[in-house]
Parts: sequence; C-alpha cells; structure tokens
Amino acid sequence: MQLDLKTIEALAPDQASLGAAAKLTKRSNWPRLETNEQLGLLWGECQGSGSNPYRVAFDLRDHGYKCTCPSRKFPCKHILALAWIGATAPTSFADVAQTPEWVNDWLGRRRKPGQQPAQAANAEGKSIDAAAQPEESAPVEDPVAAERREAAQRKRAEDTRSSVLAALDELDQWIADQLRLGLAGFVDACSERCRRIAARLVDLKATALAGRIDELPARLMALRGEEKPDAAIRELGKLVLLAKAWRAAPDDAELKRLVSTSETREQVLANPDAIQIESDWEVLGEKIETRRDGLVSHATWLLDLKSAAPRFAVLLDFFPASAGRRSGAFAPGDRFKARLVFYPSRNPLRALVAERLGDVSPGTWPDFASGASGDPLTFYATFQDGTPWLSDCPIILPAGAIALDERDSAWWQAASDPHGIALPVAGTVDRTLLGLDLAATAALWNGARLELLASQSNMGRLDLS
Amino acid sequence: MNEPEQAGLARLRDGWISGGAVFELAPAEWKDVAAASNPDEQERRLLAIAAQALDVALRPAAPKTLKRRPQLPMLALPMLPDRLRPLLRAALKHAVDARRKALVVRLVASRGFVTHPMDWMPAASDQNAPDVYAPWLDWQASAEQERPGSADKLNADNWADFYPAARRLALAAMRCSEPAAARQLLEAKAPAESAEIRLPLVELIRIGLGPDDAPYLKSLAADRSGKIRELAGRMLAMLGEHGEAGADVPVAELAGFIEEGKAGFIRRRTTFGPAKTKSHAQEQRRAELFELCNLVDLAARFGVTESDFITGWQFGADNNADIFLSRMVAASGSDAAVAHMADTLIAAGGKAALLVLQLAPRLDTGRQRVLVRQIVKDAQFSGALSQAQGIEAGWLGWDDLSNGRFLATLRNGIAAKEDAPRRAAEDIVETIGYLVTAPAAAKFIDEVVAAGLPPASPSLGLLRLNAALTANPSQSAR
Repeated sequence: MQLDLKTIEALAPDQASLGAAAKLTKRSNWPRLETNEQLGLLWGECQGSGSNPYRVAFDLRDHGYKCTCPSRKFPCKHILALAWIGATAPTSFADVAQTPEWVNDWLGRRRKPGQQPAQAANAEGKSIDAAAQPEESAPVEDPVAAERREAAQRKRAEDTRSSVLAALDELDQWIADQLRLGLAGFVDACSERCRRIAARLVDLKATALAGRIDELPARLMALRGEEKPDAAIRELGKLVLLAKAWRAAPDDAELKRLVSTSETREQVLANPDAIQIESDWEVLGEKIETRRDGLVSHATWLLDLKSAAPRFAVLLDFFPASAGRRSGAFAPGDRFKARLVFYPSRNPLRALVAERLGDVSPGTWPDFASGASGDPLTFYATFQDGTPWLSDCPIILPAGAIALDERDSAWWQAASDPHGIALPVAGTVDRTLLGLDLAATAALWNGARLELLASQSNMGRLDLS
Repeated sequence: MNEPEQAGLARLRDGWISGGAVFELAPAEWKDVAAASNPDEQERRLLAIAAQALDVALRPAAPKTLKRRPQLPMLALPMLPDRLRPLLRAALKHAVDARRKALVVRLVASRGFVTHPMDWMPAASDQNAPDVYAPWLDWQASAEQERPGSADKLNADNWADFYPAARRLALAAMRCSEPAAARQLLEAKAPAESAEIRLPLVELIRIGLGPDDAPYLKSLAADRSGKIRELAGRMLAMLGEHGEAGADVPVAELAGFIEEGKAGFIRRRTTFGPAKTKSHAQEQRRAELFELCNLVDLAARFGVTESDFITGWQFGADNNADIFLSRMVAASGSDAAVAHMADTLIAAGGKAALLVLQLAPRLDTGRQRVLVRQIVKDAQFSGALSQAQGIEAGWLGWDDLSNGRFLATLRNGIAAKEDAPRRAAEDIVETIGYLVTAPAAAKFIDEVVAAGLPPASPSLGLLRLNAALTANPSQSAR
C-alpha cells in the first residue's frame, strides 16, 4: 500500500505541523520503525519531549492513526513524520509478521476499522515542499541585542528567585500557623488549607512545590486515622527541610526542580554532568495519578538488571487529564537495553531514555537480596540521608510473603523473620498474592506504606503495579 | 533513637496535635539543634527533626496477629508459558461472563496447561472450573489454617482431612472404579455435611448410575434439603423408578396439556403433541409442570415407554413445549431415552437438532461431536452453539468447518452492513475459538480476516490463543 506526500499534506492540520514533522523525519528520532505490509500498518516509537518515547501507529488502508503524545493537534507531528518516512523511505521500516500488543489494542478499539480512507482535510494553505525546506539560518544577532537579551534573562531569573523566596517565606509562616492551630484541625481541614497555600505558591512561581502540597491531602487520606498526625508531621517537616535546602542553594538543579520548574529534556541531555548509564532495564511497573491541578503524572519505574546493587530509574511524564487515557511506551515486565540520562540529583532516579538499543530476553532479577543486610529499609535510610525532603523511595525487599492483619489490611512480611520485620502495604492486594512465596519484591516505600511494583515468586514474575 | 528521644517525640507529637508551642517539651539534644531567636523557626526546626526521626528511626509496628495463608498449591499441569499469557489475558478480558471465561480456561486445560493464578483464579464457589483446579478451589475455600491433608485414599476415617473440592474429585474417581464403596461412603458421611456441600456429592451418584443405587436414592426422599430430594427423584427416574403418585407429583395435570393422537394409514402409531394453551398463565403452569415431573412418569401416564413417548412426540408443533420436553428428558430421562432423543433429532436435522443442545451435558463425546458437526454443517443455526454446555474443547477440524455452507454464511455475516448479523457472526467466531483444533484455528483466523473481520478484533482473542496453544506433550488433558 503506497502513501503519497499529497495525502500527508492534506492530513496535516496546519503548515506548522508539517514543519515540525519535517524535523522528526530523521531516522535517529525513531528507535523503532516497523510495518506489517499485509495489514497495511506502520508503527514506531518516536523520542519526543517526554521521558518515554511516543508510540505512533498509522493505518495505510484508511489513514487512521494513533499517537501517545499529549498534543491537541490531530494528527500530531509524530503521525505526520511517521507517514512521511513511510512515503519517502519505506525501507526504513522492518517488516514484521506480529503486530505488538499496543497496536492490536488500538486496532481493537477503533470504532469503524477497515473502512475506506476518510476524505482528507483540505490541503489548501499547506505545503509539504515548503516544510521540507531547510530552515533559513538565523540572522546573526547584534552583540548589543544579545547582551540586552541576556540581561533580560538574568533579570527574569532574579525576579523568579525573589518570588520563590517570598513563596517559601509564606510557606514557612503557613507551617508555623498549622502547628499553632493544631495538627488535629489540620488533618480535618487539610484539603482547603493546602489548596489555599498551593494557590499562593503558584502565584509566586513555586509551581512544583504547589503541586506537591496539592497532593498532600490525598496522601493523608490514604492512611488510617491514628496514622494521620504522624504523616502530617512527616510531610510538613519535609517541606521545612526542602525550603531550607533551597535557601541554601537556590541554583541547585534538583532543588529548583522540586520547588519551581524542571529543566527541559534538551537541557538534561546537554548537561555534561548528568549521569548516563547504559544497561539492561526491566519495567517494574507504572504509577499513574491524576493530580488535583488537572495533570496526570505517569511514572514508569525501571530496574537496572546489570547492577550488583539495586539501581532504579523513573521515567516521569505529565500530561493534561483532559487529553484522556494514554498508554505508555512500555508495559510492566518489558526488558530493553538503553542508555538513560539521569536528572542531576543527590539520589539520581528521574531519567530520560537517551537511546534505546533493542530488547532484552526475559529472565529473573539479579540476586540482590542475598547480599543485603537483614533490614530491608537500609536503602531507604541512605536515601533519606541524601534527600530527606523526598518521600517515595524504590527498594528491593528480600524473600517474604503477604499477610493480613485483623482488619484485613495487607502487610509484607520477611520470610526469614516472620515475627519481626513487616511493612504495611498500600491499598488492597489481590488475594491470590497471599498464597505465593515472594522471592524478591520491588516496591516504593514512603515511610508509611509500601506500594508494590513487581515480584519474583515461586510462580514467576508478578506484576503488582 | 534512644528512649528519652522517643518520649520527647511523643510529647511533641501530642503537643502539635492539640496546637501551640512545644519547644520546651523537646529532648535536650533536639533543643540545642533547633534553638533560634524566632519561636516559629524553633518549632519548624523541631518539626523537621521529628519528621526525620519518624521517617528513619521509627517504622510501623507489625501486629502480632498477622496471618499468612497457606501456600497456593501447585497444580498437576504446568502453567501456561509466559509468551502465551498476553493472549490468555486478552481472551479472558473479552469473555464477558463467568461461563465464557470458563470456556477459555477449559480450552487451556484441554491442551495440558493451567493459567497463572494472577491471570485467572477460580472463585471458591466455581462449579465449572476444570477438575485440575480443585486444589485452588479448596485453597480459596479455606480461609483458615490448612487441613493436614491426606495422600491416602478417601475413606470414612480421613473424610475430614479432605477439602470439599478434593473430596469431590476423590469420590468421583471412586465412583468410576468402586461405585458401591463410594455410595456407602456417601451414605455414612454425607448426612453430616451442609446441604451446600452435600448436593454436589450426591450428584456424583450419576457417575455409573445403576439399579444398586436405587435404595440409597430412595432414602434421600427424606433428606432435609428440597434440592437433594428433587435430585434423588430425578436420578431414580433415570433408573426407570416411578415417583410416588400424589398431589406433589402432578403428572396428571401435565398430561392434561398433552394431546394423544394417531397417525399413519398402514401402520397406525400413537402421537403426542402439546395441547394449545389458552392463556399466559396456562403456559407458565405447563412450564412448571414439565420442570416438576419426570419423563418416566409422564410416559407411564400414557401407557408407553420413555422411548415410545419421545418417538411419538410431534416436534415442531410448539417450540416452547419442545424445549420443555428436552429439558425434562435431560433432567430425568434414562440414558437410553436421552440417546434415543438425540439420535432421532440429529437425524431429523434442521432446527429440531438444536433441541439436542439441551441434552449436551448428558451425551457421550461421540454424540456431542456428531451434534456439533451437524449444526456447523447446517450453518443456519450455528449461533446456537454458544448455548451448548459440557462440550469438550479443541477437536473440531478444518474439514468440519469447510464441509457445508458454514464458512459462506459466516462470511456474509461478517461482511453485513447491519450491526446485528455482524455481532452474531462475531459470536460464532468466539464459539468456534473454543471448539477447533489449533491448526484449524489458524486457518479460521485467516478466513474470517479475509472476510473483513479486523485482524485485531477482540472476537479473535480465543482463536489466537487456541492457534498458539499447541498441546503440552508431557501432560494429558484434564
């Protein structure tokens, strides 16, 4: 099935989309390009601005398409780029007989599959030739103008810093107020109180901190009544520590990321100090949360399969909840070889996939547990030494099992010490899990609850996220 | 954290909960670190220290009463290979109800595998799960401690050591080899069990049912459970034992709904047909009576044998009455009567053959296969196959599918513009996914995709699993 450039031109929502697509037609942007000629399908993975590559599929028969990016343009630049490569360099696509599960899912959900190509949108005002032209080189900037621009940038940065400082002063005062008024009252009214201070922090450009405080009520609500005061002390105490750390080092990239804004993908990739690790990675699980500010945070937790001690990475993406459900680029249990670049941090976890280098065959995890000390939270203590303002810490638990307390709440219990070490598990667990021996378990520990991600068990790998 | 610090933390905690300044309540070392000119700042510093102490030095105390479940037993068949689990999950996801999910699981068991427990786990009350899952059924049912278990043959002494599903399996095996011993064991132990457990046990008497079982079944007429009394009555009827006449057995009333007639010029024969009902209430009463009465009693009322009654029945005159009669035969007819009715209707073909689906659970494998082949070949009513119960999985070959108008009719359904015939066709595709062999499943997928069914249609889920699921050579199907 042939695709011509006129069709792509007509499909494009505007000339800007074509221009953006043209930049994505480089092979290096596409770690995976595949086709099933029999079914008339193209699909691929495009490294976009998110930490996960976007999954893009195009149906040559009816020009239907799917992309996991959050763009509100339909089709987005990734679709157009995929189709463009399909039209101009079809040999770039590996012909495979088996369509991946995510493509099957998409095909299965389509309302009217197999129909004739939809009448393409009007091609007027859009030109694929113009989009394919290399951009005119930027005019050489006048040194005076450049200096003026840099001065304006410095001024903006200074303004932001002053503003964030004011935000932290307000936060400090707010925390002192909560202590004076009593945490019993805070726990009862935390939703409104947090919302008010979060709104103030947004006004004062401490956006990331505002998002964190907005989520605080949900974290408290997940706990039992008697645990909430301790949790409130922990949460507010961490905010005090973060504010103090920022004041001490306002230019620190990690602290800026936690208080105001994050670096862009390009800045992280261009940072020579950013840690880069090329290894085999397993997708442990996903944590998808809709936040009160209308964003969905999609965290994909990875385990380094070549490291002697447990090493983790998290690919973090945010997109508007209004964009609907998005499927991630990876499914729990997937294994792949990749070079990850980590955001600078005292405990580097957040990362980007800089280069995907192929798939890795399934297997078991390295034997981390045998070398570990008896306490499964040793790693958490070290993590807290470096970044006491953070909560969620990935850990590998040694051999154990899930048990129930008298309220039917689940606990992870170490196998070797059935009356000692036990940690409460967040939410409800599949009751089948109660009958399985867990040789090793990957989880997130936040000081109060374990969020299970995956286990190696007597019945193979268990996806628990 | 030492004891004074723990005590200090508790005081701070209590103070902050009620509100107010707590600096003076802090442990001395903490005060040294937190000291500041501003009282608010002192409180915040203490808060940060307390947060760290709670995070690192304290952890939730594990209750002493933590209960572990016994380990989930390994089953007699190996687990489905990991590479096939996504196909299984897709097929299970598309199976809308427990009955359809059971078909997926039965197909998997027929190829010598079991599901991963996180993909599918039978509920404790699941009566349709393949026998190989009995240990998991018992695990589900055992909320408390594991019973000691017994590797010995089931007997009256170790009866309590067996969980219900394992006991049912052991008794079923015993009924095949030593029917009298199994019956005697039931007589001795079943009365102590609850009706819920007793019913499936008494049902096992159906295996190898013979005249020797009649005294025991008659004794069940005094059972405290109505369902068991009814079941025993049905089994007695299968043995040709007539029920007791009386108000409880309204055969006479049912006979009033049936007209006796004569047919044939040279060889006059007796016919039986449904009398025309005059109201919905009458129709309902007739349905109830068919459900209450036994075939042997009804035939005797007209002075004929079960087989003669079936031969004389005018099938096709009243579809509802035909269905009621089929259900009655399935529930209380003797094995010979069931086989006779199946042979008669399959030979007649067409819509009448569909009535045999009601008898499917009581038919031997050979007759089941003949029935399915007949319905597929006929093509007109293949949608009814989805109603069949107790039919074995994975044996229908490509020749059976291509022998007749089945594929042509299905192609028309898939290509139809209206939703209803398309959905009906997809329903048939799903049912065929359970019945066919792996090579036939692969060919069938190509066929329906070529006919226009989207290659990723969820209706192909079971077929795709079937096609990929080659039999496990080291295990026999359970």
